[in-house]
Amino acid sequence: MKITLKIWRQESAKAKGKLETYQLNEVEQDMSFLEMLDMLNEDLAVKGERSVEFDHDCREGICGQCSLVINGQAHGPESHYTTCQTHMRSFKDGDTIFIEPFRAKAFPVIRDLKVNRDSFDTIIQAGGYISAFTGNAPEANNIPIHHDISESAFDSAACIGCGACVATCKNSSAALFVSAKISHLAKLPQGKVERKERVEWMITAHDEEGFGSCTHTGACAMVCPQEVQLLDITRMNFEFNRALCIS
Amino acid sequence: MAFKLGLFKTSVARKNVMAITGLFTAFFLIIHLAGNLILILPDSMFPIEFWGNVANQHDMYNAYSHFLVHFWPISIVAYILYAGLALHVVDAIIITLTNHKAKGEKYVKTDNSTSTWYSRNMGILGTIIGIFIVIHMGQFWLKYKVLGTEHDLYDLVVRTFKLTWVVVLYEIGIIALGFHLVHGFTSAHRSLGMYPKSWMKILKYIGVCFGIGMAVLYGIIPLIIYFQ
Repeated sequence: MKITLKIWRQESAKAKGKLETYQLNEVEQDMSFLEMLDMLNEDLAVKGERSVEFDHDCREGICGQCSLVINGQAHGPESHYTTCQTHMRSFKDGDTIFIEPFRAKAFPVIRDLKVNRDSFDTIIQAGGYISAFTGNAPEANNIPIHHDISESAFDSAACIGCGACVATCKNSSAALFVSAKISHLAKLPQGKVERKERVEWMITAHDEEGFGSCTHTGACAMVCPQEVQLLDITRMNFEFNRALCIS
Repeated sequence: MAFKLGLFKTSVARKNVMAITGLFTAFFLIIHLAGNLILILPDSMFPIEFWGNVANQHDMYNAYSHFLVHFWPISIVAYILYAGLALHVVDAIIITLTNHKAKGEKYVKTDNSTSTWYSRNMGILGTIIGIFIVIHMGQFWLKYKVLGTEHDLYDLVVRTFKLTWVVVLYEIGIIALGFHLVHGFTSAHRSLGMYPKSWMKILKYIGVCFGIGMAVLYGIIPLIIYFQ
């Protein structure tokens, strides 16, 4: 396959970036998207040019490190995929592919396609935890939880914190990310202790980190690799209003 | 307590204000429509026994509008409605500006297939509706209630809707309103946290039916008068 790449190159957070065009002539359909970028970087290394920097880690779709907005879609053309799980068979011979970093004020570009997603950690530190006694792990069956509830909580807990929701949202809102954690813990008995404070702390942190507000366009849930549902945002709003009412 | 007050400035609280004021205005639309429908119902529909000597569309409409202007509890509700609408607009501007600040550099290549155009452009639709409301109130409310230059509202309505540009303008405003409601109705319930899955599915259908229903019913009134 012959592929033309238009890749965002930016020297540093403060430097002005622009799209650069690269040509790859021997791309295999079975390559993952990141392997294709590795191939480009090998070419650049041979030529003595600076390689294209992008985030990646497990390449198994579970770590949430890979990012990239490919042809205007976070994580590429396949819905509910991570970039690392996107393969070149999703593209045709002769295609031009635009690759840009995740864009949001709260996700400043570090270099090229790498963005700083520390703001997500700050939000989790604000309330994405439960109070538990230290010591040995308790017996798992001590707290009975209905199967449906544990499954539902697990669906929310599946969020890998990649930030595709923010990259896709027209308001750069992290509502889906925040709501996934709030819903996950609100559904379980272990999360009940900080139920009220958690939603207050996490939403305050979300706003302070400079994310926008949710308009319910639903675009975030359409690209989420873990299929976190828009319903979680509604659940978060319920938890917030509940906290307001009982405070 | 200061921290709790701070909660009212959060993005979720702001959306709550949008939702409550929006739903209140949407409810008002039903009441407003009930009055408007007098304009297109045949004379035979009006209960002569109940309304005494009022027996035709012309008198019925004028009697109804006279009642609206002179019955004081309605005025109180009207002022709450104006305040609600003003809050809706001010809150929308604050939210839009905050969201604008949150955005990073623009994408060179965009793909909008993941959401509907009307859900992304509520602000533009709202602005069209806002301009429409100003013109609409200038044409009727100002002349009939505030200035008092027109005493026969039915006559004023019929005269106004005989003008082509007015009918075109109203249809544009009403179509914008329809799309605004289709997204706004469901979105407002989501903002308020109506989360059970079964509710959300029903609310989505109600939202679509409400938006389309309001647009069609409001939209046919100027057309019927124009072509009569």
